[in-house]
Amino acid sequence: MPAERRSLRSNNKSDTSSSANGEKANSNSQSSGAKDKAPTTRAAANKAKSAPTKKDAKGASNGSMKEDDQSHTNGSKSTENGVNGSEDVEMGEDTAGAPTSSSNTSKDRKSNEKMTVVVPPTKGSRSSGKDKEDVTMEGVEDGDVENTEPEVDPATKAIQDIKSNFTLLERAVAHFDPRFTLRVLRSISSMRKHLTPEVLAEVIVETYSASSSTASFLLEALGQTNAFENAPASSQMEVDSDKKPIPKETLAEVDVYLSILVQIYLFDQREIQKGVQFSTDLIERLRALNRRTLDSLAARVYFYYSLFFEQVAPLPPSPAAAVTTIRQPLLAALRTAVLRKDVDTQATVMTLLLRNYLSTSHISQADLLISHNPFPVAASNNQIARYMFYLGRIRAIQLQYTEAHSHLIGATRKSPASQVARGFYQASHKLLVVVELLMGDIPDRAVFRQPALERAMHPYLLLSQAVSVADLDGFLNIVNTHSETFRKDGTYTLILRLRQNVIKTGIRMMSLSYSRISLRDICLRLGLDSEESAEYIVAKAIRDGVIEATLDHEHGFMKSKEVGDIYATREPGEAFHERIRACLALHDESVKAMRFPMNQHRLELKSAQEARERERELAKEIQEGDMDDEDAGGDFDAI
Amino acid sequence: MSDLQSLVSELHGAIERKQFDVANDLLSRSKRALLLQNALIPTSSTPPQLVVLARQVLELGALASIRQTDAQLFTRYYQQLQPFYDLERHAGLPGQSSSEVDFSTSQRSKITGLYLLLLLSMGDSANFHTVLEGLVEEASLKGGRVEDDACIKYPVELERNLMEGSYDKVWRETKSERVPSEDFGLFSNVLVGTIRNEIAGCSEKAYPSLPISNAKNLLFLESEGAVIEFAKQRGWILRDGRIYFPVEPEATARSEKDILLASGTVIENALGYARELETIV
Repeated sequence: MPAERRSLRSNNKSDTSSSANGEKANSNSQSSGAKDKAPTTRAAANKAKSAPTKKDAKGASNGSMKEDDQSHTNGSKSTENGVNGSEDVEMGEDTAGAPTSSSNTSKDRKSNEKMTVVVPPTKGSRSSGKDKEDVTMEGVEDGDVENTEPEVDPATKAIQDIKSNFTLLERAVAHFDPRFTLRVLRSISSMRKHLTPEVLAEVIVETYSASSSTASFLLEALGQTNAFENAPASSQMEVDSDKKPIPKETLAEVDVYLSILVQIYLFDQREIQKGVQFSTDLIERLRALNRRTLDSLAARVYFYYSLFFEQVAPLPPSPAAAVTTIRQPLLAALRTAVLRKDVDTQATVMTLLLRNYLSTSHISQADLLISHNPFPVAASNNQIARYMFYLGRIRAIQLQYTEAHSHLIGATRKSPASQVARGFYQASHKLLVVVELLMGDIPDRAVFRQPALERAMHPYLLLSQAVSVADLDGFLNIVNTHSETFRKDGTYTLILRLRQNVIKTGIRMMSLSYSRISLRDICLRLGLDSEESAEYIVAKAIRDGVIEATLDHEHGFMKSKEVGDIYATREPGEAFHERIRACLALHDESVKAMRFPMNQHRLELKSAQEARERERELAKEIQEGDMDDEDAGGDFDAI
Repeated sequence: MSDLQSLVSELHGAIERKQFDVANDLLSRSKRALLLQNALIPTSSTPPQLVVLARQVLELGALASIRQTDAQLFTRYYQQLQPFYDLERHAGLPGQSSSEVDFSTSQRSKITGLYLLLLLSMGDSANFHTVLEGLVEEASLKGGRVEDDACIKYPVELERNLMEGSYDKVWRETKSERVPSEDFGLFSNVLVGTIRNEIAGCSEKAYPSLPISNAKNLLFLESEGAVIEFAKQRGWILRDGRIYFPVEPEATARSEKDILLASGTVIENALGYARELETIV
């Protein structure tokens, strides 16, 4: 189902490009308009939770970009990376955790392999293609003001943006509304390219007083410790004349926001050691703060914290990897987050921990973590997708295929359809295909035809073909030739388990096509070692309910039973029930996902009252009507 | 340190001579000695020689417990050995500078293989695969395969054959000359029992009837007398030199109950839909 939906969308991309553009423009202008009032429509569309909307917007821009500039693919990628920021870096490649924007080489290598079709440049590409200002314009936040004056120095622009985000953060604190914070976090992506120590230092100098410990903390990490001395005279004057040039205390949110920017900068510059140090100190500071408006920012901080450690040697597969050292702090953070009902951090830290455990193949620990910690239901879509992916992986290793299957389905459906998260989309699809095969199903052919998956999934396509025709030799061949890929994807052990499925499928096919077949023939066709083995295998298949047949030992043949009519069983009814339940659940979830603005009901109260009165009247009428009906019915009966 | 060394060698001898009472006593003494030196769990500050000694004590303990067929104790030793093996795993990776700890005496693959076999004989395939996953990952990092290690290969192949249903292969594998070391042989009886039960279960479903002489071969039993014994245990009917497997009285009796049950659920579902629809509209 989702496969069809996705492919449909990709088809539409080129057709609807113009209209998509229009939409985009619309939403932009809306955002500027909405900026001052309480943002309703635009913000609603942007909210991370309402993923479909977001996806659509992205998809649309993808489409529109497709034709005009191909050349900026790379640039766009690095910008786009930020859109979901960090998240996608991690989603990208499970094992490598390869950073994207900063190391174009690794990204390219990946894209060669993974971005299969003509890479449709994303959102950012238009911006990077034309002029840099657009980037920020596109980057969700700022409205038409910037749009009208195209040639501004990117540095000044970045500074302006950062500052305008401060006001958003302040508003988030004042209104106690996480939407503003999320908006700020989303804008990071567009800003990412323009972050330089100078820009950051300037912002810091203008925001803090020279004596502020936060300022020196941030500047130290940037290597700009003397920024205050170098600052323009005006601000210096202020600093001199008054210890507090800023009228009000800077918010903790602003501190953390700037810290995240510093983290990103360090990460992009591959200054891992510095980043590790900075993040560790930052976590220390963060722990002292207890503000609900800080939650989503804190989650992001933890994310980069863990990302830095993943880059430190010794690298993950080794059990002594540097990542193991952050398990303790992360567990502590999880505990605190749960106690504070801090859903964002809780979800992020849980996925980070799972990733951490799986990277050193400490699977039982990961399993224990899951069994002792419920995952917050209200977590953001991306976190849920990631969580489900890890869960599916663990369950698949533990042979609980049904459970693994449902989790992986969840992960693939929830995974963002955009360019950025393609690695995640592919990884979860690969796992899903293998699990489906292990369950004895043959995956839908359409899955492999999706442009986003086609090339990456090729070995898996061959694999499922081999399983579906029960070609044991071919199967082993494929496993051998592609073993490198499978190992890299972490599906190798699962695939090795498939051998018995190939055999089972073969037996099933034979039992369907022959009413009676000798064990010798079975043995030959499946390429088994001996007739004896064949007999045991068939017996096991019968016991496991794969086929309906009996064996005759003396004459050495298998006799198939008549296949019953499936429509005489309860199966269709059950399938029907399952689907209806899914639809109803979908309805419930979408009602839950809708946002109901605060205090809006008061405005409606009056009209509601009127409505109620009208209803009462209506009810009265109906009552009277009922009487009529009854009367009429009575008459009818009488006749 | 030195008395620990002598304890280890004494322990070694005791286990070789199969004096398990003595060995148990020595084990508890040496474990206390380790505790006093804070070496039961290796840390970066633990001197390498002590790490080696501690590992030896635990490994000997594991072997002693498996020879006394104490699965729980063995599992405990296995868990305690994990931190030591993590050190080894780390050092074994390509590009790692060799640490001072001496791994040449480590019996890691043997202990791990035994643990896998234990899990297999207990039918705990979830844990089996969890352990195996880690090993495969490690092996592929070194550019090898898990099967390169004879001690690991044995349980892995057994599992594969068991899952596939090639019970004759399992039977052949459990014969003494194929078993990598005598400790592995301890599980053979358990495994044969397992496959015999599996085969019996399969036969019940797969054959309408079976001559006793054939059943003897199928079930890997020594004599026809043993077959009759076994058949009685499982409640099979013996008549005219053939085994008749009891047919489950499912065909007729169940269908009526089935319909009743099915209609119940159908009604329930329909009511559920109606209720849901009402809330939506």
